[in-house]
Amino acid sequence: MISKKLAIEVLNEMLATGGDYAEIFYENSNSSTVTVENNKVSSSSTSVSCGVGLRILKENRSVYGYTSDLTKKGLMDLAKSLNKSFNSERILTVTSLTKIKGKNRNVINKSYDDIPLEEKIALVKEGTNEIESIKDPRIVRYIGNFGNNHRRVAIYNSKGKWFSRETEFARIVYQVIVADENGMETGFEGPGCQMDISFFKNKINVRKTARKAAETALMMLTAKECPSGKMPVVIGNGWGGVLFHEACGHPLEASAVSKGLSCFAGKEGEMIASPIVTAVDDSTIDNEWGSIDIDDEGNPGEKRVLIKNGKLVNFMIDDFNGRRMNRKGNGACRRQNYKYCPTSRMSNTYIDNGKSTPEEIIKATKLGLYAVSFAGGSVDPTTGEFNFGCSEAYIIRDGKVCEPVKGATLIGRGEEILKKIDMVANDLAFGQGMCGAASGSIRTNVGQPTLRISEITVGGRGGELK
Amino acid sequence: MKYDKFFALAKERGITDAEISISTSYSLSFSLFHGEIDNYETNTSSTYMARGIYKGKMGAIVSDVYDKNSAELFVNTIINNASVIENNDPVFIYKGSPKYKKINTFNKDLSKISINEKLNKLYELEKKIKEADPRIVEVQVVGFEESSSSNTILNSHGLKLTQKNNNYFIYGGAVASENGQVKTGFDFFFENDFNKINVDELAKSIAKDAYSKLGGYQCDSSTYKAVLSQDVVSSLLSAYINNAIAEDVQKNSSLFIGKLNQKVASRKVTVEDKPLARTLFARGFDDEGVATKNLPIIKNGILQTYLYNLTTAAKDGVESTGHGVVGGGSKVFTSTWYLEMKAGKKSLEELFKEVDNGVYITEVQGLHAGLNPRSGNFSLQSTGFMIENGKVTHGLDIITVNGNLVDLFNNITEVGNDSKEFISGMKCPSVIVKKIAVSGK
Repeated sequence: MISKKLAIEVLNEMLATGGDYAEIFYENSNSSTVTVENNKVSSSSTSVSCGVGLRILKENRSVYGYTSDLTKKGLMDLAKSLNKSFNSERILTVTSLTKIKGKNRNVINKSYDDIPLEEKIALVKEGTNEIESIKDPRIVRYIGNFGNNHRRVAIYNSKGKWFSRETEFARIVYQVIVADENGMETGFEGPGCQMDISFFKNKINVRKTARKAAETALMMLTAKECPSGKMPVVIGNGWGGVLFHEACGHPLEASAVSKGLSCFAGKEGEMIASPIVTAVDDSTIDNEWGSIDIDDEGNPGEKRVLIKNGKLVNFMIDDFNGRRMNRKGNGACRRQNYKYCPTSRMSNTYIDNGKSTPEEIIKATKLGLYAVSFAGGSVDPTTGEFNFGCSEAYIIRDGKVCEPVKGATLIGRGEEILKKIDMVANDLAFGQGMCGAASGSIRTNVGQPTLRISEITVGGRGGELK
Repeated sequence: MKYDKFFALAKERGITDAEISISTSYSLSFSLFHGEIDNYETNTSSTYMARGIYKGKMGAIVSDVYDKNSAELFVNTIINNASVIENNDPVFIYKGSPKYKKINTFNKDLSKISINEKLNKLYELEKKIKEADPRIVEVQVVGFEESSSSNTILNSHGLKLTQKNNNYFIYGGAVASENGQVKTGFDFFFENDFNKINVDELAKSIAKDAYSKLGGYQCDSSTYKAVLSQDVVSSLLSAYINNAIAEDVQKNSSLFIGKLNQKVASRKVTVEDKPLARTLFARGFDDEGVATKNLPIIKNGILQTYLYNLTTAAKDGVESTGHGVVGGGSKVFTSTWYLEMKAGKKSLEELFKEVDNGVYITEVQGLHAGLNPRSGNFSLQSTGFMIENGKVTHGLDIITVNGNLVDLFNNITEVGNDSKEFISGMKCPSVIVKKIAVSGK
């Protein structure tokens, strides 16, 4: 940490040339990863990181710099080099810093730092043993991986406040590669949390997780190529939320909205989705992968309803981009680490439960695609054009889930697709992902109940859907 | 010396071979929005990666800091990490190659250019993008990024290697709109010689990338003969060549198993890794300290070699090809440095003529989700144009191209002469493929 006295000195240096806001972001983190390949530990690594990011704002201008030199000279030199961007008179002086306490939503009973490597390896091996026990010669390679990160952050700003936050998160990942004379396929499962190791021991079943990765890969080996063209698509719960994350989540971030560079800019209060769609970005769910107590500007995490019954009602806003929108930040400012200037980002983003059941949705679909799980996607927030690739999918015929298909990618334009959601089920679930954008790679949950899109373009190699 | 304590402590605690690699970097970047600087960044950082062999296994740590407590922390962590390794992969801290080629990728004049000169290029770029076409309604961003870095490897065998490089990257994004349709365009230029920036050319290219996509519509879902742009070729080639990584071949998870000296692409395809070529990506040694060399990977369609680091080479009883990548863990990865696909003789226009009727695919998106590097199957959101009677006609809106990397590289019938260099460390020409599946209407 930095002493309050030094923080005040650095903040005042940053403000010397007329900046209207200054902020010090201090971070000290350590992470550990063990990898088990074909049931033998193949790698174990440790990473320690410590540094400071300084940010000065003046009107709509942002100046940022980081350093891992935490001496007084290192910090003052950086502050001086950054304040050269402005050349006005000082308008602000910081005289004291008061600590603001946030709620700790991610209580850790026992730190991962105190858990021996052997215990983490034993946990990973529960899953890799399970994969081995399938004894299918088509399984050629399987990798289990356990990673945890412990991050301590302190933020000091020119509003005379300082905040601290300590988080630990962990993730277990299984990847299975299978091959036969027809080719090679992969399966992936990667649950994570901001909770102690009891999550992996009691809340989820590591064996089932690992087995699921293997079974998906084996099934995809026998799957036919996905048909292509426009068709109704039922999107499975949990990971299916990648749809909303790409098609709508990114364009609702203030980084795009504030400059009018989002397809949803200026549409607050308008119906942008079907009336059965309510969408939320909620940083306040205890122990969830994407939750935060306070954001990287010191604002408390919030539950933001973005779309209510089809109407656009809110955005993810950080204080800086909020300036162009005449809005205050709503706790959505995030960054990967001190090497990134922060901006508005998602946390736990989901479409809320509807009234149908998953069974009713499948039953109501005569011919279409059932996309259960996804490998990720991307979007251009300005045009709203998005894509996401399916890792597990089936054909629906006469209201029944039939043969598996592989290689499906769904594409479209966010504005059009949101209006085509015609059924929403009541089985909301989350999937844990890493989201990459301007302020780096951050933990985000995607989520949704099972839902149906009446028509979307599907890319695949299997010709016309019959 | 600064790191003597680490090496001495490592030896004392039973680490037989030890290494530390130090990277320091400086970067400066700024961007404009509506004629004003909206973001400005300047950073300095260091990364210390230490590795060591303890009881025959490799342990490692990576840190941003090296201070008076680091020697103790590094040595303890290396021992802890090495102690849990169970596989019997041979591990190495390298004694050094007989010879290293001297590489010059540092231009000392770049840091002498004032910030104002750099800023002026951005003001000019933003203005020229706006003026390039009436359909340009917004310039999303114009930016300049400059970085310099120095990498040093030191090890207990006395090996000491250093390389410095610097470069800059100037880019812009534009929005074009017509009849309610909105499209974005982007392009960049990178170099380490400031005098080589051609703002006119870059502005035109950024604007054209946006407005040329306007007026597009979906084509029928069908199989087409196609021209793939350099950009598309570089994305797909990079995924395909990764199958030559020896570790994946050894672990039964590569499309190139048993394909050494066999056909893996059409005879039009020749690909070489050229770390010693005069490019910004040049490097004389890999992360393990092995001297690099220019290496043909595919020659006239035939796979010439697998790509090795010291560990995977020892397993196959061959020499490392100088492709080791140390990522901070005990395991060493493998990567190419500068992949160049050999250009052909025909211009892009001649490629269109040869295709006669088909599609011209200029961009593919979402590779991390839409391309399965193991199976080689891909289904990717794409941008492109229709080719009719040998000429590009209208844009294509909301389409995917679908295929398999093995089929695609075997179906290349012609290679263009229009090679373009990419910041990913690749240089590729446009190509013709016999057929590719497109999903649209």
